[in-house]
Amino acid sequence: MRVNRWLVALIAGVASAGAVDFEKDLHPVLRERCVECHGPKKQKAGLRLDAKAHAMKGGDDGAVIVAGKSAESAIFRRITSDDKDERMPPKGDRLTTAQIAAFREWLDTGAAWDETDADRAAARDRRLDHWAWQPVSHKQGTVDGLIAARLAEHGITPLPDGDPRTLIRRLYFDLTGLPPTFEEVEEFTREYHASKDVYARLVDRLLASPAYGERWARHWLDIAHYADTHGFERDQRRDNAWRYRDWVINALNADMPYDEFLRQQIAGDTLHPDRSDAIIATGFLAAGPWDFVGQAETPSAVLKRAARADDLDDMVTQVMTSACGVTINCARCHDHKLDPISQREYYGLTAVFAGVKRAERDAGVGGVKPGAEKRASLSTELGVIGKQLVRLGQRGLDLADIVGGGDGTGTGKAGTGINIQSGQRQIEGETRQRPKPNVPTPVAGDFIDSVFLPDGGVTGDIPVSTTGSTVRGAPKTSGETWDAIRNGTVAGQGTAKVGDTDYAAAGHSLLGLHANAAITFDLTPFRAALKTGALRFRTTVGYSGRPTTDAGADVRVYVDGEIALLSENVGPKTAPVLVDVALPEKARFLTLMSTEGRDGNIGFDQIFYGDPRITAAGQPVLTQEENAEAARLSARRDELEKKLKSLPKPEKMLVFGIKTEVPPVVKVMHRGSPEDLREEVAPGALACLAGLKPAFGGGQLTDAQRRLALANWITDPANPLTARVIVNRLWHHHFGAGLVDTPSDFGLGGGRPSHPELLDLLATELIAQKWSLKAMHRIICNSAAYRRATSPASRDALEKDAGNRLLWRGPARRLDAESVRDSVLAVSGKLNRQMHGPGWRDFDYKEEYAPVYAYKTADAPELWRRSIYRFVVRTTPHQLLTTLDCANPSNLTPARNVTTTALQSLALLNNDFILRQSAYFAERVKAIATTPGAQAELAFALAFSRSPDAEEKSAAAALISKRGLPELCRMLFNANEFVFVD
Amino acid sequence: MNAALSRRDFFGTLSTGLGGVALASLMQREAFAATPPHFAPKARRVIQLFMNGGASQCDLFDYKPQLIARHGQKFDPGGGQRVEASISVPGALMKSPFEWAQHGQCGRWVSSALPHLARHVDDMAFLMAMRSPSNVHGPAAYLQTSGFVLPGFPCAGAWISYALGSLADNVPAFVALPDSRGLPYNGRSAFTSGFLPANHQGTIINASAPQPMTHLQPPADAKHVTPGSRADGLALLHEMNTAHAAERGDDSRLTARIESYELAARLQLSAPELLDLTGETDATKKLYGLDQSETADFGKRCLLARRMIERGVRFVQVWSGQGGGSDNWDNHSSIPKELTAAARKMDQPTAGLLMDLKARGLLEDTLLVWTTEFGRMPFTQGNSLGRDHNGGTFVSWFAGAGVKPGTAFGQSDEWSWKAVEDVTTGYDFHATLLHLLGLNHEKLSFYHNGINRRLTDVHGHVIKEICG
Repeated sequence: MRVNRWLVALIAGVASAGAVDFEKDLHPVLRERCVECHGPKKQKAGLRLDAKAHAMKGGDDGAVIVAGKSAESAIFRRITSDDKDERMPPKGDRLTTAQIAAFREWLDTGAAWDETDADRAAARDRRLDHWAWQPVSHKQGTVDGLIAARLAEHGITPLPDGDPRTLIRRLYFDLTGLPPTFEEVEEFTREYHASKDVYARLVDRLLASPAYGERWARHWLDIAHYADTHGFERDQRRDNAWRYRDWVINALNADMPYDEFLRQQIAGDTLHPDRSDAIIATGFLAAGPWDFVGQAETPSAVLKRAARADDLDDMVTQVMTSACGVTINCARCHDHKLDPISQREYYGLTAVFAGVKRAERDAGVGGVKPGAEKRASLSTELGVIGKQLVRLGQRGLDLADIVGGGDGTGTGKAGTGINIQSGQRQIEGETRQRPKPNVPTPVAGDFIDSVFLPDGGVTGDIPVSTTGSTVRGAPKTSGETWDAIRNGTVAGQGTAKVGDTDYAAAGHSLLGLHANAAITFDLTPFRAALKTGALRFRTTVGYSGRPTTDAGADVRVYVDGEIALLSENVGPKTAPVLVDVALPEKARFLTLMSTEGRDGNIGFDQIFYGDPRITAAGQPVLTQEENAEAARLSARRDELEKKLKSLPKPEKMLVFGIKTEVPPVVKVMHRGSPEDLREEVAPGALACLAGLKPAFGGGQLTDAQRRLALANWITDPANPLTARVIVNRLWHHHFGAGLVDTPSDFGLGGGRPSHPELLDLLATELIAQKWSLKAMHRIICNSAAYRRATSPASRDALEKDAGNRLLWRGPARRLDAESVRDSVLAVSGKLNRQMHGPGWRDFDYKEEYAPVYAYKTADAPELWRRSIYRFVVRTTPHQLLTTLDCANPSNLTPARNVTTTALQSLALLNNDFILRQSAYFAERVKAIATTPGAQAELAFALAFSRSPDAEEKSAAAALISKRGLPELCRMLFNANEFVFVD
Repeated sequence: MNAALSRRDFFGTLSTGLGGVALASLMQREAFAATPPHFAPKARRVIQLFMNGGASQCDLFDYKPQLIARHGQKFDPGGGQRVEASISVPGALMKSPFEWAQHGQCGRWVSSALPHLARHVDDMAFLMAMRSPSNVHGPAAYLQTSGFVLPGFPCAGAWISYALGSLADNVPAFVALPDSRGLPYNGRSAFTSGFLPANHQGTIINASAPQPMTHLQPPADAKHVTPGSRADGLALLHEMNTAHAAERGDDSRLTARIESYELAARLQLSAPELLDLTGETDATKKLYGLDQSETADFGKRCLLARRMIERGVRFVQVWSGQGGGSDNWDNHSSIPKELTAAARKMDQPTAGLLMDLKARGLLEDTLLVWTTEFGRMPFTQGNSLGRDHNGGTFVSWFAGAGVKPGTAFGQSDEWSWKAVEDVTTGYDFHATLLHLLGLNHEKLSFYHNGINRRLTDVHGHVIKEICG
């Protein structure tokens, strides 16, 4: 910054007429020249000079007033700067010499500023007065009373109740997402005319039906941005995400109290560690997208930190937006521009989740699983027999099993790997590592001498065992490796097949050896176990990396440092490498090595050794007794294996949810950059809600304590947002618009409630009803406001309130995408009501670097389940449903768009699924009705739950006669009456 | 209040039941009818060519004598700067296997990988120093298509559709032409309308498929559907819908839906003609490389792009390369092999498109944009001849309406490793794109979950230096 030296010199000579009086001499200058940009309206550079507290606090770049030191005070530097871009004020004349001199003296003499009431008033954050932060008011009234009062104020006469058909259809679609049958409508109409009580009973019946949970879970999953794949370029499947989707359905059907519903989704694993369902509930935190490449695959620490910051942002935003309607993510890079939420508070909330990562986990909670005992005893006996057979020379020893910590007879742990750097066994997956090359690290147990990362790019020989045997001519490598050496597939491995043999299947084994890695076996204990000197090593080497690559990996087998096998560039197109290596009596070490090959890059170099066994070189010489024993044992083994296979599989209850770890220190990221960390923050929530404690404790809190604290903060009955937000969401889905028309933003930028008292009445009632959502549905659905007809609208009402904010007419809406599809299936008679379980997949899946999801027509009973059970692919949206405005699963969607487009019409006309369902619909009708007139009658009854009038009937019958029944069925699916519900 | 803003207010209430009355119809019309921009536009339509995978700037446009001089040496940028690559260990510096020469009046350097495009550098304005915050395909491609590194945001074509609509009532505003070998990284989310209404999503044309446009016609095996049955069926549908709407007098969503079937019929009529290349002369087809197997796919899609903008499509996106591990610009294994192939497929058709647009006077109001998600490293990937991802610097170019031809803006360092001078970003790229279309990127916004979202997030500067 350029300070005008001449000016500074000049004012040095200006003698002040006495001590500067801030209030008289300077405050007016601040007010006239500074506050316009640094005051209540604008806060350029985050600075306010309209109140003492603000001025002393400074702006984005720190303090601007340093008492006693004008030279260090930014305010002084700026008013004396010569740099056009720096000088303040930027517009108008420079401050006068006298004013500048006064500032200097004021600063140098201690910057005394007597705080006045005006200061205090200006410093008060008026945003704290915003309605949503205030406690819920408890006033008397009823839903209809409060609505009627507002209508009366505007002189609008509401419409009367809708007719019975309108009412039952509205309730069915609204509460279950499915149409009533013609018979149900007829019966309801009859009973309704006798007594209107049947309406309330219908509400109860529909709320009790399982379809209620299926319907309303969709609304919640929109907010949770649930999908069954990760998203981003490596859009991998989450095959076990569905358990969380089912949990939502079940929780809603069971009318789980809403506070508990939230608590379990945020901290179910800590609240009820002994309950699988509560663990599954935390799938909520994991429901959003996850960048596999940025989080796991890239070696770049910078990218990893960026991806993790986005990941945490997604979790915090999802929890706070869905539960509290707070746009917390706006405070990621700076204090919230509209709401009284600081950037520190944002990071306090990320600290709550700092120990949480998305991962597949077993939600099983111990306990005895079916067949577990039987399985254990069979396995134990098999182990014993295996050893005996080994001793009798009948079987070799399995090297994969040994890697898994076993003795070669099947006692090792599947999936266990050996860390190349430490030599320790581990289950967890690893990504890229760079251990020191050519250092054979010993491994616990008899059979393995060592593991190491080979790099022949050094002068001289490299060691292959801990005893000093070496090899020459090992290839130069990049010095990187992937995952551990495993008893099973390595992290990221696709197939385990070579030809028709799947080495991951029961009865086979595989040793995963991703490049660049090597493992050396000590043959001495093998000889002891096999009771013979000359041995033989046999295996089939396969490749399971990227199926399209030209690259590949090199495979080497050494015996005592002598090369016994070399196969270069083993890739997706090479034939399987059959290995059969003799291990003479004198041989001590067998080394298996995979290296990256000539591309100098370990990407996709996934090599595995199928059924790797060391056996006796020749037939064992046995006594007659031994032979008989071997035969008996073999028979018993076969018998046991058969029994084992027939047992129910030990089911893991896998779910895509969260894994937790000790939370790292969380610091404010300046301007949101993970590379610019500032002060440390402790976990906490928001301070703007009076009556709630925002601080949770210090950084020493465990992950469990943090999430529990937030869950309790959110569900505290004194939190005014939580109850208001959910009752407004319910209202939104019942009426098509919330009382607050921005259901996920209750802040200053969001909408104001159309009926504030009504919102608070409902929020109060929710808590009074022990957070029962079904109780709220009952209140809403039984209200006169909800039962109103939608037409005819009076001109007067339309002129005064065309948008129906005052609720003078009933809610007429286009069905959402899922309801359209489900209704098509219901009407065609093909709807498969099977609940729960893995999602139906109407696509062909192709394993690729970026997996391909190629959609096909859902034309099988499994694919005719309700839309809520669809396997949702994040990057490849479903064309029919997307065109009908289903939510984009990468977004939090509190309210669906409703569009009307030519492409939508084309989809409903020509989509293969719709056309096939039209044909099924026609078959269903034909099976009952024979004449065109009767067919038309029935088709209308099924599609619209009413009979056609005479004109409709004759026109429809004419179309049937001329063009066939399927064409009529197709058009009924396209009718406005089908997709719009009064 | 400008048109975009007032329409946004409408959309804000769209999902609110009867609050949407009268608006759906409006939206329907606006989805296709041109609406005025913020200020006088230089360009009225855009063809964007997207090189999927990260086209190597230092093998195409970014000539660096130092890279040639230091070929084979270990890369040390000095100053203690850390060198890291996206998925590999950095190898030695590698000069481009292609020859370099200066071209045109402006003397732009172009490598021998692009002999056809090299002849047109005087029509182009280059951004020579673009930087991406990510060098991972997914996020970087999202940024370059939607302005955010995260999924879920509307891409540029959807924003432009939302702001301007299309220029005719029988074509969509935003069309995407993916590579015939497969979708780009991020799949169909590369053409998403995100939280914007679904009518702004990219209409996908699979140029080589028997049915290029989904749902345009019933599938061939739908035997009960014939043109005749369709006509009679639609007539009945019209009657039913009209009667239904009449009973609900004021609900214009219902009439909008009736109109949408008429629009659909127009679209059905216009699309076959749009996709039919038989009317094009042999000379034109040759110009686009339709006569050669290598260039036929991209060439056909470039030619379709021209036909589309002629017929009123506002934004056409043509993709070069699929999202998988090969057949794209993600040349990890071998620049000589992989990039040569990718460049050949793209070079002549792109030059043909540029010449054709110019010859027909279309370049006067059409913007042609060439871009990619990031660049590649000046050094090899391990011991291979490939290059790893480089978010540090990459090249895009603009040509046509409103563009200052023969210019270049920005410079990378002496190795083409990092952008150092007049650095530009995806935000600036989009701000400039919108600017040329007469749109202020700070004003074009849409309320979503508490934020008025923009294509350029909170960033972006119009690059005046390349605007004529």
